[in-house]
Amino acid sequence: MSMDATLMDAVLGTLLPGEGAWPSAGQLGLAAEVGAELGEDGAVLLAALPVGFPTLDAGAREEALRAVEVSRPAAFERLVAAAYTAYYVDARVRRVIEQETGYEDRPPQPLGYELEPFDEALLERQRARQPFWRRP
Amino acid sequence: MTTALRATVAIVGAGASGAAVAWRLASAGIDVLCLEQGGWMDQARSPARGHGWERALQSRFHPDPNIRRAKEDYPVAAQDTPIQPASFNGVGGGTLRWGAHFPRLRPSDFRVRSLDGVADDWPLSYEDLERWYDLNDEMTGVAGLAGDPGNPPRRAPRDPPLPLGAGGMRLAAGFDALGWHWWPSDAAILTRPRPGRAPCNNCGPCGVGCVRGARASNDNTYWPAAIAAGARLVTGARVTRLATAQAGRRIGAIEFVDAEGVARRVESDIVVLAANGMGTPRLLLASADAHHPRGLANGSGLVGRRLMHHPTAIVTGVFDERLDGHKGPFACALYSQEFYETDPARGCARGFQLQMLRGSGPVATALGGYMRRIGWGRGHHREFARQFARGATLTVTVEDLPEEGNRVELDATLRDAVGMPAPRLSYRLGENSRRLLDFGIARASEALRAAGARDILVNPLSRQAGFHFLGTARMGEDPARSVVGVDGLCHEVANLAIADGSVFVTSGAVNPTPTIQALALRMADAIVARLERRGG
Repeated sequence: MSMDATLMDAVLGTLLPGEGAWPSAGQLGLAAEVGAELGEDGAVLLAALPVGFPTLDAGAREEALRAVEVSRPAAFERLVAAAYTAYYVDARVRRVIEQETGYEDRPPQPLGYELEPFDEALLERQRARQPFWRRP
Repeated sequence: MTTALRATVAIVGAGASGAAVAWRLASAGIDVLCLEQGGWMDQARSPARGHGWERALQSRFHPDPNIRRAKEDYPVAAQDTPIQPASFNGVGGGTLRWGAHFPRLRPSDFRVRSLDGVADDWPLSYEDLERWYDLNDEMTGVAGLAGDPGNPPRRAPRDPPLPLGAGGMRLAAGFDALGWHWWPSDAAILTRPRPGRAPCNNCGPCGVGCVRGARASNDNTYWPAAIAAGARLVTGARVTRLATAQAGRRIGAIEFVDAEGVARRVESDIVVLAANGMGTPRLLLASADAHHPRGLANGSGLVGRRLMHHPTAIVTGVFDERLDGHKGPFACALYSQEFYETDPARGCARGFQLQMLRGSGPVATALGGYMRRIGWGRGHHREFARQFARGATLTVTVEDLPEEGNRVELDATLRDAVGMPAPRLSYRLGENSRRLLDFGIARASEALRAAGARDILVNPLSRQAGFHFLGTARMGEDPARSVVGVDGLCHEVANLAIADGSVFVTSGAVNPTPTIQALALRMADAIVARLERRGG
């Protein structure tokens, strides 16, 4: 069963709609990647949607997807996981995250982050406590 | 059938316990061979070097073998448990995927029957094990700080502690305000260089491998030393059966399928199982024969029974300010053992540890990490922005009391890649554990509020927290009530020993790896003494 990319884009755009600086997941070209991740589940989920799903207004699309979420919960969870993963690793979305939150859009390595020295003065109150581990 | 391999001691599994045993024995000049079904991981090529590291955590580094489905994994029938399995196969085992939190059991953990009237005492004490804990710390490389009033003094040297980060600083202040205990974590992560290993640079996602070798995993601690001392390691080897000899009194051979799919055998004087608390009972049960119809070493009927996890609730505080919890090793910052011991006023026995988890990257934040995922649809982005980089988490990890109905069995139909029966987990959360979790959730929430959290999110039982399999071949002095003796040698099969978490009598409420490895080192020394007596 081949996947309808237009239909999948409409699904992705309903799961993660555009808002402010955040792009819609349906406009990032993620349909093939998400479809590949889902395999047969993707086709089954898309087949469960009403005819003309992409042409429905946002509220109706959301309502239709919530019905699928109830009727096929396991496959739907896989869809959400695949969609979130594809969306949040996309470079365009990472740039928005950087702009909106200050999160640096770079891999953790090789730079890492500063390893600040531990300030033992923080333990002043704890060090004042007598040992309280239980002796058998 | 090819010619059998031969060793004085053969080990099944190259994870935390198998690595420690291999090093200790090889260092004593003993001919050691280890079979490992996974391979070596090139951690220098960790996904942490690229933008796909979060995708890797959801796929090839996912903790659940049923989701990861790597070729070296075996499937697990896990329909009858609310806690899904987390395990990893390869040279280093679970330490390839772990967070490296490195606490020890407390002295009271070994005496819960005497102190609190529950479960059973261990046949050894904290003091009996202490020098092997110290040796294990030195081999591993531990960052931390001596002087914790909640634990016995630590003699082994430590690197300076990891930084707490912004979230840890707030939590420390919150614990102080409440007058509760906290202490920087003992972490199996270097903050100073060692030969071949660079210190941590605070990058965060330890679970995808450490490119610097700062995070200890047994492929960068025990295994290089073991191999230098002469230990042999065969990777891609799936052990399928232990074949007995001498009317079932000894193991005659280990049967395995090698990386090319060829059936092979190892013959050895002693066999050590180090396949974790799920894999070891699986192998014992799958090796049933006419002399051991209920499974090897299972005259007590306890092989696979008394399965203990560390049931874990997750409590996340959302703060107004950025905490940037993606910076720093995700599992190692600080812990509180304020509520570790029994308090009769709670209406349940034993206690729990609160362990701080730092924050997550974008994907894990959206998917909820150990929490529930952020909802989809309109409002998703607002909620993501509210949570991302603003969370700090406390895990509530409780002591799980042993119940014989909680167990590892063989599944009737599910098989692995070479046709061996898959393990089936049957587990019910006990009433004591549930009460501890509920009490702990309330305390964790209190601590987070004291730290300044605006909102509190609660997962009352983490589904993906089956990372510790304990108690499924317990130690004890009575062969009718235990599988192995105090040195890890089986009561019923003279040359069979168990080195992994299967032998735990009780679980404690902390991560078990340091205790597993200390027991393994102690057992190795007992084997050395036995072989020396025989040689003399």
